[in-house]
Amino acid sequence: MNQPPEERVKFIQTDLVLPYHYVAGDYKALYLRALKDKKILGSKCSATGKVFVPPLMSSPDAHAPCEEIVELPDRGIVTTFCVVNVPVYGRDIELPYVVASVALDGADVSIYGLVQECKPEDVEMGTRVQAVWRPDGERQGDHSDIKYFKPTGEPKAPLESFIHRL
Amino acid sequence: MKAPTSVEPMSQRMTVKFPYKRSTGEVTGRFLAGLKEQKKIWGRRIAGQGVVVPPNSYSEVDAKTGGEWVEVNDEGTVTAVGVVAKPVADLHPSDTSFAYVLVKLDGADTAMAHIVRDRLGELRVGSRVKAVWAPDDERKGTIRDIACFQLIG
Repeated sequence: MNQPPEERVKFIQTDLVLPYHYVAGDYKALYLRALKDKKILGSKCSATGKVFVPPLMSSPDAHAPCEEIVELPDRGIVTTFCVVNVPVYGRDIELPYVVASVALDGADVSIYGLVQECKPEDVEMGTRVQAVWRPDGERQGDHSDIKYFKPTGEPKAPLESFIHRL
Repeated sequence: MKAPTSVEPMSQRMTVKFPYKRSTGEVTGRFLAGLKEQKKIWGRRIAGQGVVVPPNSYSEVDAKTGGEWVEVNDEGTVTAVGVVAKPVADLHPSDTSFAYVLVKLDGADTAMAHIVRDRLGELRVGSRVKAVWAPDDERKGTIRDIACFQLIG
């Protein structure tokens, strides 16, 4: 036989597996443990007063230490968002759903979260939202402790109030 | 509040998986079928390139398709060695120390990537190696149907 088989192998499974050991570091450890107590912690830049959440040890713009830890409210503004219409491997949420950048009140940067309890078309840049937490006893100190954000019904925030906090 | 000076360390092990299922195409598909069904390694004589293993469906020189199937030997010469002393489980193709190698099989004009598991201290560019085939009931039509290469002599 001077030919390979006519009947070819049609597919190969080439799983890429990346095993990580993630070490949180002091500030992220504080932040994650605080979520268990329904608290969101940030850090304040000693030079500019900017508040970063999750907390950073030094500010990326002023390169100054952020030695003060501040507690932030669990409400804020949708600064920008995306309506997801395509299922993503490993994420089991009914489509369509909204993923948003949320600038918590008092924070100078946004965190990511889902926006639920409303229609996707009701979400806008500037929509006021508040966190919906996992119930007591079910929070485990990770970002899923905030199940999602829901609109508060307050008036929309003006663009100037959050354009620098995307 | 001032940030605490001592925080209990926190870490987590996690695994990111990209479950790719790839379509092989006509040429790679028959190359893999040759490994599985015939325990043979097939290349293709491609204009301007000689015998290419594993084969392409086209020439990398002039992009023309076509080529004649040529069986090559399952022995060859190592052209490059990279030893992995401490493999990462699930990431690397072996749980114990191994070496990535390029092997230019006898009859081929290109070298193909594979692994060597044993006698790593003796392994050199220029070493002669031979394919170790997976048993008949374990060959699935993948490059791992060649379990590894081993030094000859």
